[in-house]
Amino acid sequence: MAQQTDKHILDNGMILLGEPMAGVESVAFDFMLPAGVAVLPDGVCGAANVASDWIFRGAGSRESRALGDALDGLGLHRADSVGSAHLSIGASLESSNLAEALALYSDVILNPHLTDEQFTPARQLAVEGVVALADEPRQMVMLELRKRFYPSPLGRSTVGQIEELERLTAERTRQIIKTSFNIPQTIFTVAGKYDFEAVCKQIGEAFGGCDGAVPDGVEIGARAGQYTHIPNDGAQVHIGMMTETARFPDDDYYNARVATSVLSGGMSARLFTEVREKRGLCYAIGARYHSLKDAAGIMCYAGTAPDKAQETLDVIVAEFKRLAEGMSNEELDRAKVGLESSLIMQSESSGSRAGAIGSDYYMLGRVRSLDEIKERIEATTVESIVDFLKRNPFEDFTVVTIGPQEVRFE
Amino acid sequence: MEFQQKQLANGLVLIGERNPAAKAAAVGFFVRTGSRDETAEINGVSHFLEHMLFKGTDRLSALEVNEAFDRRGAQFNAFTSEENTVFYAAVLPEYLLGITALWSELMRPALRDDDFDMEKNVIKEEIAMYEDTPTFDVIDRCRTLHFDAHPCGNSVLGTKESIDGLSAQQMRQYFSQRYAPNNIVVACAGSFDWDRFCQTVESGCGSWQVQTVERTLTHFDGTKKTERLGKPNLKREHICLVHTGVSAQDPKRFAASLLGMIVGDDYGSRFYWELVDKALAEAASMHFGPMDGTGMFYSYLRCSSDSAGAVMETVGAIFQDLARDGVGEDELNKAKNKVLSALVIKNELSMGRLVDLGFNWMYLGQYRPVEEDVQAVKAVTVDDVNALIRELALGSFTQFTLGPA
Repeated sequence: MAQQTDKHILDNGMILLGEPMAGVESVAFDFMLPAGVAVLPDGVCGAANVASDWIFRGAGSRESRALGDALDGLGLHRADSVGSAHLSIGASLESSNLAEALALYSDVILNPHLTDEQFTPARQLAVEGVVALADEPRQMVMLELRKRFYPSPLGRSTVGQIEELERLTAERTRQIIKTSFNIPQTIFTVAGKYDFEAVCKQIGEAFGGCDGAVPDGVEIGARAGQYTHIPNDGAQVHIGMMTETARFPDDDYYNARVATSVLSGGMSARLFTEVREKRGLCYAIGARYHSLKDAAGIMCYAGTAPDKAQETLDVIVAEFKRLAEGMSNEELDRAKVGLESSLIMQSESSGSRAGAIGSDYYMLGRVRSLDEIKERIEATTVESIVDFLKRNPFEDFTVVTIGPQEVRFE
Repeated sequence: MEFQQKQLANGLVLIGERNPAAKAAAVGFFVRTGSRDETAEINGVSHFLEHMLFKGTDRLSALEVNEAFDRRGAQFNAFTSEENTVFYAAVLPEYLLGITALWSELMRPALRDDDFDMEKNVIKEEIAMYEDTPTFDVIDRCRTLHFDAHPCGNSVLGTKESIDGLSAQQMRQYFSQRYAPNNIVVACAGSFDWDRFCQTVESGCGSWQVQTVERTLTHFDGTKKTERLGKPNLKREHICLVHTGVSAQDPKRFAASLLGMIVGDDYGSRFYWELVDKALAEAASMHFGPMDGTGMFYSYLRCSSDSAGAVMETVGAIFQDLARDGVGEDELNKAKNKVLSALVIKNELSMGRLVDLGFNWMYLGQYRPVEEDVQAVKAVTVDDVNALIRELALGSFTQFTLGPA
């Protein structure tokens, strides 16, 4: 079956997108609510996490336990996440239960009970989630890195801030949910096995009457950047490093993606080869492209023994800088085939397609076909990438380390 | 779906499940060897050896190996457990034969001294990384405490000391004993041509010599000990419980996986409603871990030090309720729906299918279509689960805690 994108826009502006997949019995869906950390007001960092828990504690005609049991009865696997722009509420399941699942999710989003009694444990869990993060330095270093790399408020912590969570009240959170669960600004996606007409009818009936104001744009501040060390008496120094590159909607996006792949696409890529294979400095070393709508970067992680941390960071930075000197055609070809293969293999998963079409639409206002992506990757050349890197050199690095020892970084 | 199998004269088994509609194909070499097949002196060698297979052969250097994988856009890696070492790659169908030939070649590695010495650093960094990951570390420590001197308690990674003490010669010796063709299954799933796949494997692996390979299977009931280790840099209690479970060969394994779901799924389980929903614990889960000839359930709980007492009391009460009243029909049906949808979603990916295909052959010596597992899950009754609860005695378990010093 040729790839196809289903699209329908409700009168109030809510976007409905679908991608049918041949030969699967599963379906995945996602409501991308404009309630991500960066678009919420100041002083409530973590409210989206509290909201995503609280709304499931009773909705429509069901109390918390009955709602949980009903969702469980459908065998669905919840996949909720808080991002910079969106709070995504979704699930994957066997397709025969889709209509029932959507009915329950409509209640969760539109008619949550939001009782005071259930607010306390929802907020408590969010606070506990932040505290527990301190025990996982590998995850914490990347959150701290995003915070400092992205201009405020884009990099706000997606798990929240303890002080702000502790100040958060049930009343304030209800207001936030009311304003930010803005249905006309919401993107709904579905992928796998489904009947688009039936889905549109059901979503239209539930959500078609909702209104919401056009939100003010987010005012983007400055990047904190530079070097930060967070002491932790653990076994390793966990290094996070990020540097600016082309954004997803930019013309140079594919040059940036392929360049990242030359650095860290596979085991023959430069970082793995130079840091791990030749020098034995790390077990975990890798870089990946990360883009929001308004800013993007290449983020790199390495974990290493305290006495090797300095050398590790120095080698990483040198590899980033060396990339503008060029690469061989073989290196480029490997980077391209790696990107293309992973793209096609990810398209076997309904969950990953439901996420991808939503993110495309949010970033570009349309869904790219796999063929288009393949062609654009193919069109990059050594010259186009080197030219891009000369115009946009890696020179400003944001670095965070967590561990028993600092490094020197200027 | 079309299943085919073949055995070479040297004992190497080839199995394949063809799905012509798949966009990819996945191939795996499943070696029946892991930390339970090690002695204390060479603890960690199975996992270290897994790393060394990527270092090349007499013909290929490490960099050439990595380039050969990346040229074909392979999503490839390997993992080592207590009892298996699995090498796999998922690729677009046109690259399947090339990647299969490459893996076949790598299964007879050079194991060079200088590569061994360099990789030792990487292994020690991996050990250090997991030391900084209490969610992993606590489960590893609890398994060791549970199994005591039984080989299933051997750490997969080994310790810094055991890795420091290991020589390349000891590794070569271990390799020659364990990587025999009659101890390996080659599996393929997705879109591929069976005959050409067989020819490729045969030309790469047909000359390997058959050997005697043994593993002693003994069931062990667990020490049921309780220990705690304090670390100054931790903020939360990380609690692991290990229960004795049933084996990967036991027909009761389907009831066991449903029991794990009922007690400790992330949402909607007894742990969820009593611990997480009430914010007593921030995380609480239980999983069934079937193994060769034995098995276990492992639970993971994360909470503040102040709540730890109340959390363990609640866990005790949950186990008591189960022992007294068993599970209900509704509860079992919900768990079935969750297990079944997870099974369907996982098997839609070539890589997910490969893992089930390979392990069914490793543990059961048989092919099981997804549909057969679906029927087996559906057939489990409340009585089956309750009989299992009585047999397992949920109230007695091994417990390890990592927490603030």
